[in-house]
This record gives sequence, structure tokens and C-alpha cells, in this order.
Amino acid sequence: MNETEDISKNGEDTHLVSEKSARDFNIRDYLRTSLFPHFLCPGCGHGIALRALLWAIYELDIDKNNLVIVSGIGCSGRTGAYIDANTFHTTHGRPLAFATGLALARPDLKVIVITGDGDCLAIGGNHLIHASRRNLDITCMMLNNEVYGMTGGQASPTTSETRYTTTSPSGSIEPVFDACRLAEAAGAGFVGRDVTLQMPRLKNLLRDAIQYRGFSFVEVISDCTEIFGRKNDLGESPEMILSQKSAMRPSSYGNVVDEPFRPNTLKTGILARNDRPEYGATYRAHAETIQAKGK
Amino acid sequence: MNKQEKPNSITNVLIVGVGGQGVIMVSKVLARLCQRHGFDVKQSEVHGMAKRGGVVFSHVRFGEKIWSPTVSEGNADVLLALEWAEALRWLHYLKPKTGTFIADTQHIVPPFACLKRHRGAEQRYAQETPEEIVSQVAKGYALDATGIATELGNFRVSNTVLLGTLSTALAFDEADWRDTLAELVPPKTIDTNLEAFQKGRDWVEEVKKTPKKEKNTKKPNKIAPYQQQVKIQNDIQQDLIPVITAAWCKGCDICVKMCPERCLKLNTKEVVELVEPERCTGCRICEWLCPDFAIDVVKVPTPLNEEASKSKPASLPETV
Amino acid sequence: MASKYQLVNLQGNHACALGAVAAGCRFFAGYPITPSSEIAERMALELPRIGGVFIQMEDEIASMGAVLGASMGGLKSMTATSGPGFSLKQEHLGYGAGAEIPCVIANVMRGGPSTGMPTRPSQGDIMQSRWGTHGDHATIVLAPASVKEVFDETRRAFALSEKFRVPVIVLYDEVIGHLVETIELPKPEECEQVERKWADSDKKTFKPYAETDDLVPPMARPGDGYRVHTTGLTHAEDGFPTQDPETVVRVTQRILGKLEKHADEIASYEEVDCKDADTVIVAIGISARAANQAIRQARKKGGKVGLFRPITLWPFPEKPFKQAVQKAKTVIVPEMNAGQLALEIERLCQSEQIVERLNRIDGEALEPGEILQKIGEAQ
Repeated sequence: MNETEDISKNGEDTHLVSEKSARDFNIRDYLRTSLFPHFLCPGCGHGIALRALLWAIYELDIDKNNLVIVSGIGCSGRTGAYIDANTFHTTHGRPLAFATGLALARPDLKVIVITGDGDCLAIGGNHLIHASRRNLDITCMMLNNEVYGMTGGQASPTTSETRYTTTSPSGSIEPVFDACRLAEAAGAGFVGRDVTLQMPRLKNLLRDAIQYRGFSFVEVISDCTEIFGRKNDLGESPEMILSQKSAMRPSSYGNVVDEPFRPNTLKTGILARNDRPEYGATYRAHAETIQAKGK
Repeated sequence: MNKQEKPNSITNVLIVGVGGQGVIMVSKVLARLCQRHGFDVKQSEVHGMAKRGGVVFSHVRFGEKIWSPTVSEGNADVLLALEWAEALRWLHYLKPKTGTFIADTQHIVPPFACLKRHRGAEQRYAQETPEEIVSQVAKGYALDATGIATELGNFRVSNTVLLGTLSTALAFDEADWRDTLAELVPPKTIDTNLEAFQKGRDWVEEVKKTPKKEKNTKKPNKIAPYQQQVKIQNDIQQDLIPVITAAWCKGCDICVKMCPERCLKLNTKEVVELVEPERCTGCRICEWLCPDFAIDVVKVPTPLNEEASKSKPASLPETV
Repeated sequence: MASKYQLVNLQGNHACALGAVAAGCRFFAGYPITPSSEIAERMALELPRIGGVFIQMEDEIASMGAVLGASMGGLKSMTATSGPGFSLKQEHLGYGAGAEIPCVIANVMRGGPSTGMPTRPSQGDIMQSRWGTHGDHATIVLAPASVKEVFDETRRAFALSEKFRVPVIVLYDEVIGHLVETIELPKPEECEQVERKWADSDKKTFKPYAETDDLVPPMARPGDGYRVHTTGLTHAEDGFPTQDPETVVRVTQRILGKLEKHADEIASYEEVDCKDADTVIVAIGISARAANQAIRQARKKGGKVGLFRPITLWPFPEKPFKQAVQKAKTVIVPEMNAGQLALEIERLCQSEQIVERLNRIDGEALEPGEILQKIGEAQ
């Protein structure tokens, strides 16, 4: 028996992955292979999250030509460039603002935002709140690795208390954001969270999120192995990704958790889902009424 | 060495390498040491290469009074390179007639040079051999510091090995070097570092003893063509197997540790290899958790399923 | 036959909105700020009627981001702001300049710095409109001086923006913004619409930032099958980031050079009685209107006074300006700030020419009398 056994089997649900999908999905069809190997550090969880996203896109049979990936700044932002689609690498914290304009201007496109914890919750926090409030048809995948990796390992709004970073040299003392609760409270129609260790499960979550008509927010618990992991003695890449297992619990587990590695108890799975009207459709219907009156 | 002995001279040391190697640590040790001996020291550097593998360099200048923080071309008394290509890139900074050249022969192939890394091809990495370079400079030491460090059990102390070599080129007391080093490295690693430091010194002693002709180290290992060793026993009814894109693998070890059957291993180049293909069950965990997209679990091209095998490998890069 | 025009009483800010609609603008993202809010208000009314999108964003930065996003999606897009909001938009203005995304920003100038005097006019953003965002960049700034001109210049802003793939700023002061004038408004269908060059070459070999004869590469629209990468990082011809020194120089020089190459086409100015003038006044916006009155009065008294009014403020119409001041001994620069346009004029004038500054920073518009007095002093 091995710790990893249940990755392909989610408890009772043994049909997490269809064998056909796993066989037919060729990730190279969705990658700009000429740019590889990618720039991420060895063991960086962002690559795994990217695979989950691309697999979900494959399963939903989304035309790459109509797929737009909008990303921000940081390690998360740079991952967008590796996807063979229309990729917009925007400014720090603002991918949701760009995506809002794009999704309203071109409802025919599928807009997916890739952002990071610093990008989305610190400098771009305002945009997350309002994108959630509007419920425009955008999928936002936030890669949470608890740290600003690209700039060399500074504390982010999700850096767990007591963790060491270059800007919390004696351990972070700031409380952390629970991004999912934030998005849910602000009105996001679909909110979910999963870990990179459970890649197929994450893929299913992302698939549901992309299918949702409205603002869907998915927090991916990723690992920064080279900077955050090393600074905090969290072990090498395999140890770090395995520790996600003890730290996270599917939401069906309720509040039953053992000692988590983050001080707050983060649940995984679909955490919120409602049928609020999608903003783009609402706007267009509203505009049509105005046009009809004018005639 | 102290101020009285060398009143007006300025010593320029240039330390170069790539992100993560410990360039800054070496220059810190040197700068602290110089400062203790009453010199005016200037240490200026480019670092912050969070994108690992980026160029890192540090200029250390010391003497009675230092004005300019950087060493100009052709003015470095010592060029210390932690990586071979970096050594070459900065070579013109060395004083042509008197400069000392110290370099690790280790190759760290930057990602952009990997792009065309076909089987064993390394056109975009420097071709010059240590022999060629050492024969061109006034005083040259090219050693496999990473190899020495790996023997000591921690490849990360390669910078300290080179620091040991550097210590023979500057006239500070060995004991001072050791004290300063012990002060600056993490407490847990003091012993290893001191040992590595000694190895670096020993290496120079060794070279001095041997006749000049054989001063040079052997050629650095060229990156050997990476051969995927897939040995499939045809009698086993098994049709899925991981195919590894060696050029994309960064050796994070996740697949090795997560494989339920333990059939993967990192080779000496820190690239994953399938060592026990007959145990592979095709569970895809290695493919799914590879952050580098370096593993594809595909149907094996065996007589059992030739047709099916055509789907995926067709679009794999030729590295496989 | 119905007239091509209709006569209307229109406010400057409304003229800006209508000009945008006439130019084919179909996306507006904004944030309320005095004294430019009327533009957003009018857009909120107009755009849904014609199938366009109006959205009030959560902040100034987001509205500029949304404008860029919509423009990348293929819609002609604009936003409007003033002083503090303009400062916040600078980050994305730089993105628009670097990634070459067409868009129009109306900046109605109010007193500054900081919150300053929100309801009082100023011309304090002359330099910020040129150098507001960090790094070397190309940008076009148009400075209309009447309601009709706001309408026309907003249309021209879209035309230039689309043609040269560059953010264009329509810059005018609060007085022009809130001025109501009777103008002849052309029917929207009479207005020419300029569309950017869309990529139509081979999809596999297409390079989004390849050098073309006019230095303006065609743009790839998502959905058309090009699948390109757009980034604010310095990028090579293929759109992917680069730090290769040669490439960086090459691509940056193209972006800076594209406006230089078309300088004559971009330049626009008004010249009044400059031919024989020994004193030339250089001014924009409401200050230019006061100057116009002043030179007429001066001429009546026999003074040889002319007016040069750059309508394209940046890139500054250097050649026509040098032509206009050829005979001038004195150049007077009246402006509602502590001296910004004067810096450019001092740079362009001959050493023997005297550049006189006339500044007003009290939140009041310059009056013809003040300028006339300055002319008298100069002569």
C-alpha cells in the first residue's frame, strides 16, 4: 500500500477519471512545446495545476482558438504563456479587470484567468471582490503557494502564520485570507478548492468551474518548493506535495480534521454554488429591452 | 596580508555563477574576511534570480581605499566561477598576465540552451574544454568542485570547495578563512563546509605536486545522449509505460517518490529514468504529478498493440 | 433632402462621448470622477442602445484594464477620467503602449496635485500625458479647444489609435469639458470609421510584432485562429518575452519609431497670423481661446502677434511650430499650470528667441486681458 493510492480513487467514487479520457488526452496538443522546458523551479506545483486545467479544457472540448487565458504577474502569471491558446499576460493583480472587459466584449470566447495568491488577493483583491459580485462568465484559477516566488520569496496574504519568508524573517504574524470564503461572501457563483496532489480531482473541479455560467473561483493549493519550502524546512518536493494530504480534507469530511499544516482549516471540493444570473447575459438582455423601447 | 604589507594595492575578485549556487555566500565570506583585516571592501552584485538558473555575479574589491564598486574588464585579479559557461563568459574580465582563474567544470545547462537539446546535442553550450582555458590564463585551476562536494554528501557545498581553492590565491591566513566561513554558513552545515573548504585547498596542493603537464583536470563530462532504457518483456501483458522527455525533466523527484511500484529513479544527471519497466502498472500517477510535463504514459510499441501506440508518440518531441 | 448635420447645444464632455460613438466605440469602462463623469454618464445612455457595452468598474485601474481587455477582444474601447484617476491609469497606459493595444482615454484636467481642486480647471497634466507611465513609450495626445473640436478630435483619436496601435489621450481642461456650445453634429452614418489592421496572413508563421513597412503590425483577434501571446514584458517579434539586448533595441525602436515615421500625418495644429508675427503665442485648450482674443486686440493696435495652437500636443508638431515662429523674437506661453508646455517650447526655440511664460495656478482660466498685457510687455 502506498500513500498515493487514493489519488486515482476518491474514496467511494472510483470513476474519478475515465480511462478513455486519460488515454486520449495528449497534453502536447495544448502546450506551446517550443517554449519547453518551462521556467518553473523543480517540483513547483503550478505545472501540475496547469495540467489539471488543460485536461479539464480537453474534456470540455473547448476550441483552443476561442480560449483566452488571461494571467497576471508572478510565477502563476508566467504559466499562461505555455498554453497554446490566446494568452494575455497582463499587469500585476489586474487579470480579472482585463478579463471583465474581454468577456463583456466577446461573449463568444471562453475566458479563464490564471492568478496567484499575491496577484489575486493583495494587489488585485478589489478586482476579485467585484468580479465575484458581478458574476460575469469568467473562470478564475488562483494558484496559492503562500508566497511571492518570482520576486524571491516575500510574504503574501496567504502566508500561514509563523512561516518564514524574506519579509517575515522571524515568522509571519499576519492573519491569512481564506480566498474561497472571500469570493463566496462577495457573491461568486461557484467556489471550489483543491490541492495539486489530487490532480484528477482538481481537474474535475476545474471542469465543473469552467462549465458554470457565471464567475467561478477555484483556489489551487500549490507548492513553492525551492523558495518557501526550503526556507521553512518543509522537505523536498515529494514531501511537500504529500503533506497536502494530511492538511486538506474534502468538504464532505466537515470539520473533522487532524493537525493541519496551515493554521486555518481549509476545506476542499465545491464549497459554494448558486444559480445567480450571469452578468453578461443580464447586461445583454437589459440592452435589448432598451433597444426595443427605442424603436 | 594586512594593510601595512600592501599599502596601495587593490585586489579585484570577481565571483560568477548561476542562481542557487551560492555566489553571494562566497563573496560574503571574502568580504567579511577583508573587512576584518582592515581593508576597505566593496561588494556589488546582481542576484535575486528567483527564476533559478539566472546569471548571478558579485564583484569584491578590497584595498586601502576603494572608490569604484565594480571591476572593469581585464582587471580581475581572481575570477572565481561556480559554473563552466559562466567562467567563459566572464573570462575577459581577468587580468591577462597575472590573473588567477578558478572554475568549477560543472555544466549547468540553462533552460534556453536546452531547447535544442536533442539526444546528447549540446551545440548551445560552450564547447571549450578546461585544458584549453587553463592553458590560456596566467594561473588556472579548473576542478570538478561539484563532484568533490557530491562525494562529501552535499553537492550544495561546491561553492565552499571553490572557496578553499580561492583561499590559496589570496594571502589571508587559513585559520581566518575558516573562522569567517564558520560564522556565515548555517550552523548545521559548518562541519561539511569546513571539510569542503579543506578539499578545495587539498586539490590545489595536489595540483602543485603533480607535474605541470597534468595540472588540468579531465574533460568535463559531456552530456551523454540520453537513452531511454525501456526493456519490455513481451510475455507480460502490459501496454502502458511512461515515456520520459529527458530535456524537460528538472529532477524534482516527485514521480520517483510517488510511484506506487517504485519503478522510476533519478540518474546521475538528475533526470528521471524508468528502471524497472516490468513493474509499471500504467497507473499514470507519475504523468499526472509531473510538474514539468516530462512524463507521458503511453501505449508501448510492442507487437501486442502496434496500432494503438501511434496516437501519442507521434507528437512527442524527438528527444524521447 | 435631410441635412447631413443637426444643430445641437452640446456640452464638451457629451461631445466627447458622441464623438466616440460616431467613431465606432462600442466599449466604455469608467469610474466616476469630477469633472469627467458626464462622459461616462452619456456613454451609459448611448452604448446599450447601439449594442455596445458600458460598465462602471470598481476603480480607475480596473476600468483601464477592462478597456484594454475589450480592445484585445476587438472592440474600439475608451475610458474617461481626470487628474487622480489619470494617475491611476498610467500603469495600464504603459501596457497599452508596450503591447500596442489601441484605446482612447479622455482626461479632463482639474487642479492638482493629488485631489487638488476637483471642480476647477487646470492644464497641469500636459507633461503627465506625455511621460506619465514609466519607461520609454510612444503615445499620442490630442488637445481640443472647443466643443466641436472635442467631438472631432475624439473621433480622430480613435482613428489614430486604430491605425497606429497606440493609446491616444484626449486632453482638455474642465472649462472645455463643461462648456456648452452650439455645434453642427454630423449624423453617425456620415462619420468615417477607421478599423485597425487585422491579421489575415498564414496562421502558422504569423508573428504578432513583426516589423512591417509602416511599422504597425497587424493585430490578431482572439477567435480568428492565431493564438498569440500578448505580454507587458518586453517581447520579441513572436510576442514572447525576451531580454536579448539586440532584440530589445530592435522592437523598442520600432514602437518608438512608428509615431516618428508618421509624424506629419499625426500632427495637427492651428496657426493664426504667424507669418509676419514678431510675437507668437503658443497655447492649448481654453488658454488658446483667450490668446486668440488677445492677438486680435493686439493686431488692432498694430502689434504683429500670432497664435500657434498645437491640436496634436504630443508628439509635438515640431516642424510646423519652427516654421510658425521663424520671424518671432518673442514666444509667449500662457498656460494654467506652473510652466509645462513652456519647457517644450524653450527646447524648440532658437537661442536668440525669448520665451515668456504666463502661468496661472489659482484654478481660474486665463483671460485675454492678461495675455494682452503680456504681449504689451514683450513688445
